[in-house]
Amino acid sequence: MIEFIPSAFAATFSVSVLLALAVGTFAGIIIGALPGLGTVLGLVMALPFTYVMDPATAIALLLSIYVSSIYGGSISAILINVPGTPQSAASVFDGYPMAQRGDGALALGYATVGSFIGGIFSLIVLVLIAPQLAKFALQFGPIETFALIVFALTTIAWVSSGEMLKGLLSATIGLFLALIGPDAMTGQIRFNFDSLFLSAGLTVIPLLIGFFAVSEILYQAAVLKDVKLPAVTSGGFKLAPWSEWKPRIMVILRSCGIGSFIGVLPGTGATAAVFVSYADAKRRSPNPEDFGKGEPSGLLASEASNNAVSGGAMVPMMALGIPGDGGTVVLMGALTIHNVIPGVRLFSQQPDLVTLIFVLLFLSNILMLFIGGFGANIFSRMLRIPTTLLMPLVFMMSVVGAYAIRSNPVDLFVVVIFGVIGFLLRLNRFPPAPIIIGFVLGAPLEMSLRQGLILTDMNFLAFFASPIALILFCITGLIILNLFGLGNAISKRFRKKET
Amino acid sequence: MKYLLPGCAAIILAAGSAFAEYPEKSISVLVPFNAGSGPDSSFRMLQPEMEKLLGQPMVVLNVGGAGGTVGASQFAAEPKEGYNLAFMPVGTTTTQPHLRKVSYDDTSFEPICMTIQDPMGVSVSPDAGIDTIDALVDKAKAGTVTSGGPPPGSLPHIGQAAVAAAYDIEFKYVPHEGGGAAAKSILGGQVDVLVDPVGSILNYGLKPLVVLNGERLPAAPDVPTIDEVGGKPLRYSIWFGLFAPAGTPEDVLNKLDEACKEATSTESYKATVEKSGRTPRFMDRAEFSEFFKQQYKDNASLLTAVGLKK
Repeated sequence: MIEFIPSAFAATFSVSVLLALAVGTFAGIIIGALPGLGTVLGLVMALPFTYVMDPATAIALLLSIYVSSIYGGSISAILINVPGTPQSAASVFDGYPMAQRGDGALALGYATVGSFIGGIFSLIVLVLIAPQLAKFALQFGPIETFALIVFALTTIAWVSSGEMLKGLLSATIGLFLALIGPDAMTGQIRFNFDSLFLSAGLTVIPLLIGFFAVSEILYQAAVLKDVKLPAVTSGGFKLAPWSEWKPRIMVILRSCGIGSFIGVLPGTGATAAVFVSYADAKRRSPNPEDFGKGEPSGLLASEASNNAVSGGAMVPMMALGIPGDGGTVVLMGALTIHNVIPGVRLFSQQPDLVTLIFVLLFLSNILMLFIGGFGANIFSRMLRIPTTLLMPLVFMMSVVGAYAIRSNPVDLFVVVIFGVIGFLLRLNRFPPAPIIIGFVLGAPLEMSLRQGLILTDMNFLAFFASPIALILFCITGLIILNLFGLGNAISKRFRKKET
Repeated sequence: MKYLLPGCAAIILAAGSAFAEYPEKSISVLVPFNAGSGPDSSFRMLQPEMEKLLGQPMVVLNVGGAGGTVGASQFAAEPKEGYNLAFMPVGTTTTQPHLRKVSYDDTSFEPICMTIQDPMGVSVSPDAGIDTIDALVDKAKAGTVTSGGPPPGSLPHIGQAAVAAAYDIEFKYVPHEGGGAAAKSILGGQVDVLVDPVGSILNYGLKPLVVLNGERLPAAPDVPTIDEVGGKPLRYSIWFGLFAPAGTPEDVLNKLDEACKEATSTESYKATVEKSGRTPRFMDRAEFSEFFKQQYKDNASLLTAVGLKK
């Protein structure tokens, strides 16, 4: 593959390819930052433009949007408490409090560099061990996937700090919402109340907009008088000193690892990965009580892992022809139209194209760092727009985005209804994030459980025969024990016995 | 009074030319699946060629959900002037109406042309040590063989049930999100069999044992047809076609049929489709209408046979 690197770079250094990369990166950041318009919609909007381009230019445009849109979501998460994409749902926890206390520039700095490191880390993983990782991903059958998702559900505990019962209730609501629509195991439609539009089920973006954007708007409208608007800092982008970065290197690397790992396994998704990273960072932190109040580690964990997923999710797509999430589904469809057919034969038959994709991903990440860095100045000016003008604009854009994804009117109702529900929940101190976690994990949880039960002839105990699943179940069990302080109690008792 | 005659003539001419010049504005094409899905990319390959011939842009509208029934229901009620078309696959149009309550049936649509037809094949993992369909049948007779695929009622599900019935064996069906997810379970050794379009089977790196088609396929010349290995002549394929709502004017339909014929016969189109692992197959309006009605009937009885028809 190395022999193709010079030619891949040569193919890249044409005016049209570089222009496509720059335009794609800039557009991707904007699309990501606008709530409702995410990776999927960005790629769909760019697709028609790529028809008239040569393959290298077209792939450059698509890949740069894919990479930068994930980063763009963090900007609105930090500045206006509304995640721009589902992948940045965990960035609001600490990004927004940072912006509120006047450290918005610093938060954008953390998010930008964290995203860059996440992207480059997963790219290295992709380049070095994509075929091997694809083999590893195959070890994750229904039973192992089920164990992983059960493990991922424990993250609810860390994002509902202090309000555990309410967090669990929220998650249950999310799990229930995932049941609406076609039952993948029988093809029957559930909970549609004879509505054709409801029979397609719900999707995550309208829910996210309802629970985060609309409820935030209502909340701000309700409490506007009491809110002290943040002092707008002049500089839009500030890098923290090295002394701030140094103790957080392990957080970044672990989040990169978690993001790449979950990204590689099809069907779990980027949203789950960021919450797992966030929970992991909080669990290991010396000061977990600061999480959710503007702790940079929380923001870094979320941002490093969501960009790490981007490279991870490319592994099964490129090596197996099996896309891992919504973004890669569209990316794969778009590549197919440009005669790049992801699958087992891609690496053996078109190694030059594979190398070109790697080089383009690399350049996209570099450009994201620079455009994000310089652009932050412009983005943070959003804060100068009075809330009373900014939030209605955000609302309008969000609703357009929610509808555009599949042109289903039910999504408009979802935005409004769940916006109001989200507002009421927020007033009663119910955390909204567990609903999203429950929703995104609901479908794969049910599917993997029922697939596993078919394979084991309805014998759940047989799940423990899988070594990978057993390890994951044990970790989950330990985490839950630890959560209720039982872990400490047990280890204390053991220590007492020893002495 | 003296202006009446030329006036009438002008109106008639204008009306006549309006028809003659169809299309005079952009045409909306509804795809009842999300962007990037198989049906979506299949149409987007055809789209530039059609636009060139018709001289008007075609705007793709993705209305995904519930096996395409949400989009198809919406489409069946759209205006019939020829500016609202749909690109739909076999499942949405000929199996879903038998599976659940929808507001459309075979009389709601006017088939225009078929563009792609991918014969399906029976495949296993290359590591499974199974080289022929007979070996697979023996394995199923000796113990349990699991088969994966999209949710029940999908063509791959019906296909695998038909294969099992033809050989008097049983497959334990494990539903997945789609063919790709099922392929992953098969490569990982958790599931044994996938019946899917042969192009997809090859992309996933699975081993096709037989194709459910009358002739061998250019993409897999070494894989025998089911007839060659002494099986029943099963014919299963995933096809895609362009539809108009029933009641669309004849001349509009004919013009679209013409354009479709020309678009699908260009070398660039054929090359793009073949490279993506799909099989270009053109059927004109007359042939496709006939075929569509037959498929609608056949699939009804197939679904009854597997116990899914409502």
